[in-house]
Amino acid sequence: MKCAESIELEPPPAPTGNPVRLPMGLLGFEQIKDYLLVVNPGEEPFAWLRVEDNIALAFVVIDPFVVMPDYNPDIPPADVEFLGLKNANDALLFGIVTVHGASQATVNLKGPVVINRHTHTGKQVIITNAAQYSVQHPLPVADNVA
Amino acid sequence: MLILSRKPGESIVIDGHIRVKVMRLEGDVVKLGIEAPVTVPVHRQEVYEEIQRSNQQALTKQSSPLPKLAGAVKPSGAARPPAPPVPPAKKMNLSKP
Repeated sequence: MKCAESIELEPPPAPTGNPVRLPMGLLGFEQIKDYLLVVNPGEEPFAWLRVEDNIALAFVVIDPFVVMPDYNPDIPPADVEFLGLKNANDALLFGIVTVHGASQATVNLKGPVVINRHTHTGKQVIITNAAQYSVQHPLPVADNVA
Repeated sequence: MLILSRKPGESIVIDGHIRVKVMRLEGDVVKLGIEAPVTVPVHRQEVYEEIQRSNQQALTKQSSPLPKLAGAVKPSGAARPPAPPVPPAKKMNLSKP
């Protein structure tokens, strides 16, 4: 229905980011499949995995190698096949961050999000060597938060 | 719950396309072989639930401030190309399908 008198509301500015499709969603959020990967200047090494049709919902993610340089995840063959990865350079790898407060944050190293950088299709993968890593690996948060 | 008795080497078929086979018994451990299409996720329940809980805790409902990371993390230059946002994973091991 068209109403000439209606006030046109400005839609909230859509976050610009790279669309990422997770056909299986995240564990516990299987129904949410479309995300935007947003990197804001000044927030690196953090990035945001924003729910595309609900910009209020987001996950904070981080390059896990920044936190743990010797992180060595084994990606199961079914996931390699599902994502169509030929080699490690085809993939982006993110750990999902839980912010527990201003001075405490952790990253999930058991279940990283692996994204095929060419197809922008991703999956939360439970790595074969998950037993070696924590689902709540502490981030080195600075003591003096400005 | 449906309960079936199976011997090592015997299988069950689920929905015509998922096969669960009892491979062998090692003491009180049962080794199961699972054949399923790549689109059917198969997980150990306790790890699955741990990650599910972690995800639910990680979901943010507003743009909350990010923590400041200590020393280890180098500040990045402002003139970084916008995409791809992070370098490719360096040390990930891809198991051959």
